[in-house]
Amino acid sequence: MIAVEHLRKEFSYYKKATGIKGSLQNVFHRETLTKEAVRDISFSVEKGEMIGFLGPNGAGKTTTLKMLSGILYPTGGKVEIDGFIPWERKNEFKRRISIVMGQKNQLWWDLPASDSFYLNKCIFGVDDGTYRDVVTELAELLDVRELLNVQVRRLSLGERMKMELLAALIHQPDILFLDEPTIGLDILSQKKIREFLRIYNQQRKTTVIITSHYMADIEALCRRAVIINQGQLVYDGQLGDINRVLGERKLLSVKTSGEVNEKQWENFGRVREISAAGAVLEVPQEKVKAVLGAILSGLPVEDFTVTEIPIEESIARFYQKEVATI
Amino acid sequence: MSSYRCVFLMGVEQALEYRVSFFLSMLSAVFPIIIQTAMWNYLYAHSDAAGVFGYEQGQILLYTLLATIVSQLVGAGFEGEMNRDVKMGGLNKYLIRPVDYKWYQFFRFLGQKIPRLMVAVPVMAVIVGVAFWQGLPLSAGRVLGFLGSLILGMALNFSIFYCLGLLGFWLTDADKLFGTVGIVLMVASGGVFPLDIFGGLVETVVNILPFGYTTQFPVNIINGRFGWERIGMGFGFQLGWILVFACLGRHMWRQGIKRYAAVGG
Repeated sequence: MIAVEHLRKEFSYYKKATGIKGSLQNVFHRETLTKEAVRDISFSVEKGEMIGFLGPNGAGKTTTLKMLSGILYPTGGKVEIDGFIPWERKNEFKRRISIVMGQKNQLWWDLPASDSFYLNKCIFGVDDGTYRDVVTELAELLDVRELLNVQVRRLSLGERMKMELLAALIHQPDILFLDEPTIGLDILSQKKIREFLRIYNQQRKTTVIITSHYMADIEALCRRAVIINQGQLVYDGQLGDINRVLGERKLLSVKTSGEVNEKQWENFGRVREISAAGAVLEVPQEKVKAVLGAILSGLPVEDFTVTEIPIEESIARFYQKEVATI
Repeated sequence: MSSYRCVFLMGVEQALEYRVSFFLSMLSAVFPIIIQTAMWNYLYAHSDAAGVFGYEQGQILLYTLLATIVSQLVGAGFEGEMNRDVKMGGLNKYLIRPVDYKWYQFFRFLGQKIPRLMVAVPVMAVIVGVAFWQGLPLSAGRVLGFLGSLILGMALNFSIFYCLGLLGFWLTDADKLFGTVGIVLMVASGGVFPLDIFGGLVETVVNILPFGYTTQFPVNIINGRFGWERIGMGFGFQLGWILVFACLGRHMWRQGIKRYAAVGG
């Protein structure tokens, strides 16, 4: 169980004007500025839940994960994870969590991943039998059995990421923080890691908080999303409810046999795309039926489909601050 | 404890992983030895060097050979990585695991030294053997004293460079500093030539400063230059300085990690 209350984090930094002059000025006087990376975030995560933690670059996702894993001290607010305060960094707490950062590595570069696994086994005091079982099972699931004894530096990015995941799970943590685990990976590797995480979460009931810029990751894995922007919480709820919160709208794609001009289309709804062969309209949910009837009777329609607005697009609207904070 | 044993063994493995680089680094010790031998030979042939320096030609050659090897053995080399850990966030992986960063680095440092020791110890045995055959007074006590002081010298040099590495918390680009400091400390430790050739004040200062206790001190035990009383004192200084740098390192770590974790914003 993770409880985050009014979490805040400020960083101080200083500015430097371009060029030598700015550098010299900085030698004598530095103007210290404060950046609020995280402002007043509250949410909670139940045991076994897998949530998507979303936000644009610089929104404060990584900073929040660092506070949750105890790497950073917060400026204010509270976090409690299974009764522990992360930044006290108690060993008992460290045994319960694990964090994988897509852009950082913990494996020893010059040695095979299996050596790093063994090191983690020793560090976390995992017994021999459990260690063997865990490595065998996870290596099988991740499809890396043949690669366990290959030096890490000889592995591809995707293979390395799988090994990073495996290394992070040697001590069977209750809580797993994943910071962009699929960044830079090809589609197949992304899919494999996604599948792995889904199965792992189902089998072990591990609580997972995952950040990713690939919506496919989030849609495949999480039912719930927490979205932050500019350090503030802008959405916390079911992934499927995002569209409803934003005012339920549907996309109406219509194919016509002859050209229809833009003016005509605009009578039916907001025109998102238009071509000689048809158009895509954005229509409020409750008007779909009426609009469709009017189009069918008034225009030379060949075919039509009604779809949801892609979730990626809705989330982008949160990112652009088009929607008020909830 | 078992986790540090594991780190130690991985350090050994890591050092063995790059065979070419390993032999090249061993070989790199040969060149300074050749240059210095030539230099000393020239000096002794053309001046009253023995009178000026207080070392016979054979003694100075023995010193140079042993000091170069000892200097390689106690040499650090992890400070750059520490600096990167601090700057690039590599430290995170230690903070989230139940390990102590200092001991982790220490045991890896020791592990990485093992292959080097396995080559260096026989080479030193041959050098000392030849010197013994030439009339160097040698005893089991001196050999043991040398080995003991070598281990303490490694611990001391580790403590010094660990503190240096921790400077990364405060200096954005400490990397450049390491090159300069490395060379200065190499000379200050007596790794290039014996510092007691200067006599007087310099010798006193060297005897008080910690650096000589990483290299010059062990060599002066095995080459018979130090009497038992000075050896005893030397061990006292070694242990004392290790303690001082251990405390300094501890303090720097505490302050540094607060900065790193941005305590209080």
